[in-house]
Amino acid sequence: MIKVKFLERPNLNLWEKVFFLDFINGLKVTFKNLLRKTITTKYPYEKLTPPKRFRGVHAHRVKDGQEPPSFAVLGKFMEINYDESRCVACYMCQQACPMPTLFKIEAVQLPNGKKRVTKFEMNLLNCLYCGLCVDACPVDCLIMTDIYESANYHRKNCVIHMEDMSDRGRDFDRRRKQEKDRIWIDDQERTKLWGQIRWT
Amino acid sequence: MEILGTVIGVVVKSLIFIVGMFLAAAYLTLIERKFAGHVQQRPGPLHVGFHGLLQPIADALKVLTKEDIVPANVDRVLFYLASLLAFVPAIMILAVIPFGEPFTLFGIEIKPYITDLNVGLILALAFGSISIYGVIFAGWASNSKYPMIGGLRKAAVLIGYEVALGFAMVGPLMMAGSFSLREIVAAQDGFFGAFIWYQPIAFIVILFAILAETGRTPFDVQEAEAELVSGYNTEYSGMKFGLFPLAEWYIGTFVLSAIAVILFFGGWKGPQIFGFLSPFIWFFLKVAMMFMFFLWVHWTLPRYRVDQITEIAWKVMLPLSLLNIFITAIIILIKG
Repeated sequence: MIKVKFLERPNLNLWEKVFFLDFINGLKVTFKNLLRKTITTKYPYEKLTPPKRFRGVHAHRVKDGQEPPSFAVLGKFMEINYDESRCVACYMCQQACPMPTLFKIEAVQLPNGKKRVTKFEMNLLNCLYCGLCVDACPVDCLIMTDIYESANYHRKNCVIHMEDMSDRGRDFDRRRKQEKDRIWIDDQERTKLWGQIRWT
Repeated sequence: MEILGTVIGVVVKSLIFIVGMFLAAAYLTLIERKFAGHVQQRPGPLHVGFHGLLQPIADALKVLTKEDIVPANVDRVLFYLASLLAFVPAIMILAVIPFGEPFTLFGIEIKPYITDLNVGLILALAFGSISIYGVIFAGWASNSKYPMIGGLRKAAVLIGYEVALGFAMVGPLMMAGSFSLREIVAAQDGFFGAFIWYQPIAFIVILFAILAETGRTPFDVQEAEAELVSGYNTEYSGMKFGLFPLAEWYIGTFVLSAIAVILFFGGWKGPQIFGFLSPFIWFFLKVAMMFMFFLWVHWTLPRYRVDQITEIAWKVMLPLSLLNIFITAIIILIKG
């Protein structure tokens, strides 16, 4: 049995009916807004920096001596040079992905018995930027950057490769590794732009 | 010879008025977009020219070079006629609007109006009514459901508000004793002679009627974007489409604002502080204020339902305007 609750709409009193006081209140609000400063970002000319946790185009962290402990275990079997993508081809990202076919990961065994990743491609046309692959990565290799302009003229350009991913990772770490992790409403730039947000 | 001179004078004046109105309408779009932007705390057009000053020209070029699609199942005659029928009468009202007293410049007497008919106001009303046919024809000829609904809604709204508008104009007419717009202005002397002080009810009725007639919110049911997909002009494209908003939102509003200014705010009268240009400056200042007021209302209020609009028209506005006529008549009788 569904319970139905009837609510009565408050009726306007005579003054409000005769003099259209609601209209006048609305006009007051728009006039106030008319005198305020605009808050638009003139997009192609000025761009907002997204928060650090923003889920943009993917990147690979490189082997730079700051790996998590798990990399010491896995990295023993890997042939990875310094300043190269620290991917260990564990396929965890592909396992976690809701659209697994967008990953193309290949690795070979070298004559000395070690493993080397030869191919790591992501087709971003199929990606929904959920970030599950980032959570799944055991060596903190796959990350998402703050780059959000991923439009391209050709479909083949939307596939990202290991080399440019590690470039992007290096760049992202250089820019924002030291930055404190924060939620976006405390962002100083936002505050500058929108004013202090008062939550009621 | 004298007739020839008159004809040439009228033709030149008409051309000036029409071209001027086109340019003015183009820049009224810019004013509207800037206004709407700033009300919503965004800057509006910004990049074409200084703060978007060349945007109307870019818009005109764009709309003129667009492909003009005519759907297969339309009634072609009415379809082509509709956009013209909406546009031409709206601009023809300009023929009776005086922009100032006659003045002499370099020894030639220049009359800043095309004709001074003794039935000027009725002519303006009649042309205003004809331009509604444009909308209704567009709705009918498009052979599509949303334009049809939009056209019928416009018809329903307009029948109510034309009546109220006509009756509301009777008040100032009775005080002026003439249908000629020039004589109506002449009847208003000084600051406290303006008819707004004597006919506030008629003024409010006319405000509502102009909002309804030009299809601005809260009475824009005929092109309710959310429910009717832009209403009667859904099937139009290119310049045929461009003429509709140009006629309704800009030229219509401008011309009716001018008539309201003439009826209630003393037309071009004002302190002579700008030399021989002061009538024009006062007139356009007043019309611009009226136009901005309509923009302000448009970008503030949400939309009424059709039944509410017609209810306001028949149950509130028509009795109010009749009451206004009654009161005015009694006062005139008493005062003599």
